[in-house]
Amino acid sequence: MENLTVDKTIDCTGLSCPMPVVRTKKAMDALQAGQVLEVLATDPGSVTDIKSWAHRTGHQFIGTVEDGKVFKHYIRKVNPDEAKPERRHPHVVSNAELAAELGNQPVILDVREPAEYAFGHIPGAKSVPLGELERRLEELRPYAEQVVYVVCRTGHRSDMACQWLSEHGFRHVKNVVPGMSAWTGPVEREV
Amino acid sequence: MAKRVAIIASHGGLDTAYKVLNIATTAAATDAEVGVFFTFDGLNIIHKDAAKRLTLPPGMEAYMEGFQRAQVPAVAELLQVAKESGVKLIACQMTMDVMNLKKEDFIDGVEVGGAATFLDFAYDADVTLAF
Repeated sequence: MENLTVDKTIDCTGLSCPMPVVRTKKAMDALQAGQVLEVLATDPGSVTDIKSWAHRTGHQFIGTVEDGKVFKHYIRKVNPDEAKPERRHPHVVSNAELAAELGNQPVILDVREPAEYAFGHIPGAKSVPLGELERRLEELRPYAEQVVYVVCRTGHRSDMACQWLSEHGFRHVKNVVPGMSAWTGPVEREV
Repeated sequence: MAKRVAIIASHGGLDTAYKVLNIATTAAATDAEVGVFFTFDGLNIIHKDAAKRLTLPPGMEAYMEGFQRAQVPAVAELLQVAKESGVKLIACQMTMDVMNLKKEDFIDGVEVGGAATFLDFAYDADVTLAF
């Protein structure tokens, strides 16, 4: 597996319970909302512990990859606002509406972090993390006159992406809500 | 609102130290408010000479090798983590008197209190554990 892009990695290999959770908590406190932490651990208990910890503290557990004897856990620090997204972009489609369109090979931009994309995305979706949107504008320019579906986990980041794309000349941008958190259609994984 | 975890540590073995401190530090990492009341032999865990006083009960000596093999953190390290993450460490006044221990015999950051001090914290606890 190729390395996933993350904002920080902490090495908890060789440490036993409770240190992986204790170190994870400390590292997450220092991250900004939206950033992704990678935790390397050899403690088999960390597989369920890190997941439970993230669930309890309200952070997003993205997934775990086993790489030889090392478990790589991915967690995203959640912005408290994400629970109640402000959907200011006026053009919205449901997950079901997008699922019905998949046969027509629509343009789908997935604006989540690379690690989230790697653990499961809609087949054919292009990974453009929200923070890279501006830098990759020219690459996306050919879609300006087409229908573009923008998806994230809960509809919050995709809403921001939709507004930004609309302001930059994209004429048919649609926010997919709620997004991957409730997606039941086909999924491709990179890990 | 944060969860509250109240723990009583009344035994003094190395195994008890780990049971208490693992739960306490993990609870604190989960944003819980944690208080541990050390009483009777449990006072060994916060004693300045904990390293000498915390032994394994007869029949459990084989755990020592396992602790090393599993690279379990030292008790002193877990206590440090507990203090840094805001775990309240309360030494029982009554048993200190019985065992002729002074506040100075314990590591820094330990509070001294009686049963009412612990109960005041424990009445509003979501989880209460005794070791």
